[in-house]
Amino acid sequence: MSEKNFLARALNETVLTRRSFLKWSAALGGTAALAGGLSYGLKSMEAAAQEDESEGEWISAACWHNCGGRCPNYALVKDGVVLRQKSDDTHEDSPDFPQQRGCARGRSQRKQVFGADRLKYPMKRKHWEPGGGRKELRGQDEWVRISWDEALDIVASEIKRIKEKYGNEAILCPGGAEIQRTLTLYGGYVSTYGTTSGGTLHSSKTSCLGFGAYNSVMINDRMDHRNVDLFVHWGANGASSSGGNPVYNYLQNKKQGARVIFIDPFYTDTAQVLADEWIPIRPATDHAMVLGMAYTLITEDDPVNNPLIDWDFLNRCTIGFDADHMPEGADPKDNFKDYVLGTYDGVPKTPEWASEICGVDPDRIRSLAIEIARTRNVALCMASATARVMNADSWPQMFFTFGAMTGHIGRPGSFTGDSYYHQNWSGLRCGPPIIKPGSSGVPSVGMNPLEGENVDVWTVLPKVPGIRLNDTQMWDAVVTGKYLAGKDDLRDINIQLIYHGGGATLQTRDGMTRGIEAHRKVEFVVSHSQILTTNSKYADIVLPVTTEWERYGTITAANREIGFVWASQITEPLYEAKDDIWIAAEIGKRLGLDPDVINPIPLKQQIFNQIAGAAILKGDVPYSKSEYEPLVTITEEDIKEMGVEGQPQQGRIPLKELKKRGYYQVPRYPGDNYEYVALMDFREDPEANPLPTDSGKIEIYCKKLADVVESRGWSTIKPYPAYNPAQEGYEATFADWKNKIKGEFPLQNYNIHYPRRSHSVFDNIQQLRRAFPHEFFMNPIDAEARGIKHGDIVQITSKHGTVIRPVFVTSRIMPGVVTLPHGAWVEIDEATGVDKAGADNILCGPVSTGQGVSGWNSCIVEVKKYEGPIQLEPDYKWPQRIPLKEA
Amino acid sequence: MAKQLGFYFDSSICVNCKVCQVACQDKNDLPPHLRWRRVLQYGGGDWLPHPSRPGLFIPNQVFSYAVSISCNHCEKPACVEVCPTGAMTKRSDGIVFVDQNNCIGCRYCEWACPYSAPQYNDIEGVMSKCNFCMDLIDKGEKPACVSACVMRALDFGDIEELRARYGNLAAIEPLPDASITSPALVITPHRHAQASGSGTGRVLNLPEEL
Amino acid sequence: MDTREWALVIFTILAQMSVGAFVILGIVHFFASREAGLEEADRLSTRALLAIGPTLALAGVASFFHLGNPINAPQAINNLATSWMSREIVLVIAFSGLGAVFAFMQWRKLASAAVRSTLAGVTAVVGLAMVYSMSQIYMLKTMPSWNSLATPLQFFVTTFLLGSLAVGAAFVANYAYVKRREPACAETQCSLLRSSVRWIALGSIVLLGIEMIAVPLQLAFLSASGVPQGAASVALMYNRYGVLLALRLAFAFVGAGIFALFLYRNSLTGGREQTLGALVYGAFTLVLAAEVLGRFIFYATHIKIGI
Repeated sequence: MSEKNFLARALNETVLTRRSFLKWSAALGGTAALAGGLSYGLKSMEAAAQEDESEGEWISAACWHNCGGRCPNYALVKDGVVLRQKSDDTHEDSPDFPQQRGCARGRSQRKQVFGADRLKYPMKRKHWEPGGGRKELRGQDEWVRISWDEALDIVASEIKRIKEKYGNEAILCPGGAEIQRTLTLYGGYVSTYGTTSGGTLHSSKTSCLGFGAYNSVMINDRMDHRNVDLFVHWGANGASSSGGNPVYNYLQNKKQGARVIFIDPFYTDTAQVLADEWIPIRPATDHAMVLGMAYTLITEDDPVNNPLIDWDFLNRCTIGFDADHMPEGADPKDNFKDYVLGTYDGVPKTPEWASEICGVDPDRIRSLAIEIARTRNVALCMASATARVMNADSWPQMFFTFGAMTGHIGRPGSFTGDSYYHQNWSGLRCGPPIIKPGSSGVPSVGMNPLEGENVDVWTVLPKVPGIRLNDTQMWDAVVTGKYLAGKDDLRDINIQLIYHGGGATLQTRDGMTRGIEAHRKVEFVVSHSQILTTNSKYADIVLPVTTEWERYGTITAANREIGFVWASQITEPLYEAKDDIWIAAEIGKRLGLDPDVINPIPLKQQIFNQIAGAAILKGDVPYSKSEYEPLVTITEEDIKEMGVEGQPQQGRIPLKELKKRGYYQVPRYPGDNYEYVALMDFREDPEANPLPTDSGKIEIYCKKLADVVESRGWSTIKPYPAYNPAQEGYEATFADWKNKIKGEFPLQNYNIHYPRRSHSVFDNIQQLRRAFPHEFFMNPIDAEARGIKHGDIVQITSKHGTVIRPVFVTSRIMPGVVTLPHGAWVEIDEATGVDKAGADNILCGPVSTGQGVSGWNSCIVEVKKYEGPIQLEPDYKWPQRIPLKEA
Repeated sequence: MAKQLGFYFDSSICVNCKVCQVACQDKNDLPPHLRWRRVLQYGGGDWLPHPSRPGLFIPNQVFSYAVSISCNHCEKPACVEVCPTGAMTKRSDGIVFVDQNNCIGCRYCEWACPYSAPQYNDIEGVMSKCNFCMDLIDKGEKPACVSACVMRALDFGDIEELRARYGNLAAIEPLPDASITSPALVITPHRHAQASGSGTGRVLNLPEEL
Repeated sequence: MDTREWALVIFTILAQMSVGAFVILGIVHFFASREAGLEEADRLSTRALLAIGPTLALAGVASFFHLGNPINAPQAINNLATSWMSREIVLVIAFSGLGAVFAFMQWRKLASAAVRSTLAGVTAVVGLAMVYSMSQIYMLKTMPSWNSLATPLQFFVTTFLLGSLAVGAAFVANYAYVKRREPACAETQCSLLRSSVRWIALGSIVLLGIEMIAVPLQLAFLSASGVPQGAASVALMYNRYGVLLALRLAFAFVGAGIFALFLYRNSLTGGREQTLGALVYGAFTLVLAAEVLGRFIFYATHIKIGI
């Protein structure tokens, strides 16, 4: 019986664990190192471990993913094998000075690095030839192992051939900072840009407030959150989207007695802990609700008897609110107040008007507005999820306008902001960082020749320069050979090479059905990855790359208070995996470029540069007056041991200790010198402390935003925040809006973030699949109407594609709304064209609007019970993707 | 040495993130289908048409909360009582653990435990269970789940101290009545928590996840 | 179809049948020797006795398939203090051991009849204790569909019903052998056969009656108990295993009822031997099938309290 078990285990080996590793080596009578080298050559480097020496050594291990957390993470390594991980325990834990704990995803990091599905060797698609071969088999072909020489030769020769035949404009490289250096030096490539996480915050916030989408400068410091009396979380679900400490931090606000309101289509896991009240709202209709709230304040405000509006703030710090405060040259009729009142368009934006759209009781819209207006200290926080909506260019402007109306900007205990869970804290980049890493010292190779000038694509006028494709148009561009470069500016384009040097473009950008079509059209597709991800699945040549655990180290940007994490090497590169930068240099060599320009500074030196340049606020005076000083103490011995060039310096923490701990954190307490109130100086004196907008003030009338949108050529908006229904929003679910007769796709779908994945990373990890089945959420009223029961397999169809999933029927989501979590790796059943994995971008289409926003949270679908022929197994039972059948 | 070690769980702040479940799987090298600690969602409520506004629905007592549960190292452990080989034992500090070298894999303990703490490891043919990270405890460290929880909802210690600090509640829906095995567990209930056995909701997790 | 516990179905059925057969054999032997003398009683029952051994051995082999790690099986008797499973295993070993010794002694006619009788008596008591301890394993607070009087009741019904019909079947086979090889004794044996089968048939009808009352009664109590898992077990029985449940009851009714009735009449009135044989085999087969189905449903529909 036990022998059978041993064999069964051996055949089903899914992870190289220590036990299995030792059993195998014992069984094979082999050495301590597996073929391909798991031997650990770092023993000479480290000082004696603090922990149990016989058990191995704890090493700061990277968690480098794009959830925004990038938390400290530690791996226990013995004889080259990771026994287990742990989260931060480098100091005592308290709400003021919390340990930087990570989530289930980072905890599964070793399963990703050492998984049996790691790509070991370069691979070529069996039916590929120069020119494409049988292109229709991309995504469903067999794989053949090839050598690195052959792989690099093929890639280089294809780049060369396609450049010579079609020009650099035929090369599309949506991701991969390393290979983009090579391609830039080789004449350039077509790049892409998209709103991704920030949604319409990009153009809207930059134009109306002067800050970029990922700049959380609008959020007060977390200590100040404890002064907030009413906390409004609009569309945010930190428990899923920002694993780690963020929700713990918001709990401290609640513990001080704050009243907390969540406005969301779903009674999320975050809401179930923090919410005193849940206001269900339809996706993509937030703008309408806030207009209804603005109407209430405008019509009921009486500065003497019933003050609801902060006229002082509006008059001093904003432009465009009413006809008396318009900028020069603007039509006075284009003021926000008259729009809300319906003076010129005949449609007063009453709470009733709003309710018809957003689904919230008009009485609550009214009372909420008044509650926010009357409460002294209010935090108004919108998640960028609400901005990931088609046609929602004016929505961030609307939200900040309401914050301005109620005066909850620039005061202790009050702020209006966005992206506030980002980077494992709260308002991470609010104010200057307490700690920041230095620069790596790697010089730029210059501008990509095909990009034209170096501009901010979100605000540049008259149009985006060069040949750049917006995410929502790129796949169409490849397939149709045409793209809109600006208003009335339709151009030809002929992409024949797609280079995925990094990122997960095919998986995470809208319009995957079209994207797959695009991948089957071009002559050559090449991809770097560690596992057979979507990018690689549809490629011709796949190059296996190392993870951060297999490199000397990495500096990952983290939250404001720790600045960065220094993670060190855990293991030698697995099998034949190589660094991305090595690949970029090797290809460069074959293209006649100088590899030392592509890869000029060894990684070790880059790390050292960032460590040496790391700075920390002195903290002896309040932050706005405080200066930076070096963080790390470096001795000559350190420099010699690391084998780098540099100068000794004096700092707060010795280099070796920082390397061991992984990060440095300043103990904090309420009232310390690191507290920050967003825009306080601006509020006090907007002339002396203008915002980086054209007018220096908050632009409720923003000509730039309207111009930018118009110039992109897809749609037009008003300079003031008018409501623009999304093409695939609530209104689109109706064939007849007036009589409320539903159309072909009667349900609204959006893409909640999901704790199994960081975007699409970790989707393949079985223990995460076991914990998170990737369900499709639906309300019982909608389910019962379709004869669907909890746990059934259902089919979800949009205009753009079809997926199947097990359904989670729950009252936690409002009727009329469903959600398919973001990030599952597509797995199309070629016979039926149905995606078994439930990839969000199969349902979301390539629809270009406004500034070029990827509007994932505006999507309409129909759902029905799935009757076959596919037999859908639970995700955790799916076999791992192991493309080459050999050890 | 403590007389009876136990867990504390604060259901009012658990966000269902399952890092406790995954940290345990990581620390103990468990295959994906064995989960010595699991997180269950319990919830209920429904939606009613708005009484006066057609087209609007309002939530009616919609609630949900999460419960993280491993082994409760019970004071009256049913698993120890029924184990024929004595592989399932209770230490003097209250920790109940299974000595896999003596286990015959008869799964009787699995039948007897109302928390499904003993789980059959089909790869090895023996039972497996949360052992309170006794190797860490013996070194003066904390169980992996307690250290990992991002909301700080888990704690551990002598059960009498935990009871003195947090109260005597040892069961809420969907957990079974505490009188069956007297779990060494203290719970701070979620504000919507329902009493064990008289709940109006249901376990929300998909059947395939359970 | 939850066939996970197939090993336990086989083990419990065969083990209980062995005990039942042993006890019934003992009783029959007692009365047969009073009616026709020891030698004829032995001739009637010894071969049947020897058939019990292999049956019990098969049961034991089946039980090993229930274990994930049988190499530690000898440890299973460690917890006599609190574990009914340990007790059951000890009693299985004891019953097998005593039964083997007795069978060997009976076969070779070692020691006096009185000594052998005493040993048989002890073995029978140990066997019944074994069935009792087997049933107590299922008296778990977490298993409402098992944790009632119905379980030991059903186990004992199985023991005696299957045991007696098995004995009957063995007797029929034995008689066929005797008719061929020892024709001089055929008439006596026939008479003994008819007497035993008459009582076995009567017993079957009575036991069937008990079963037909106990089974629905237990289901009704379980449904009405207010324990959701108990009610869920009943629902599962009807919804997924309704057909099997119906077959189980039908087979039992036909085998231990109708066939038994005809058997009673046949044996009483001296009906055709072939018919008698067919009825006995038929009843045994049907009841075996019914008991296997019943035991399968027993294991397939337990739903645990808790999470």
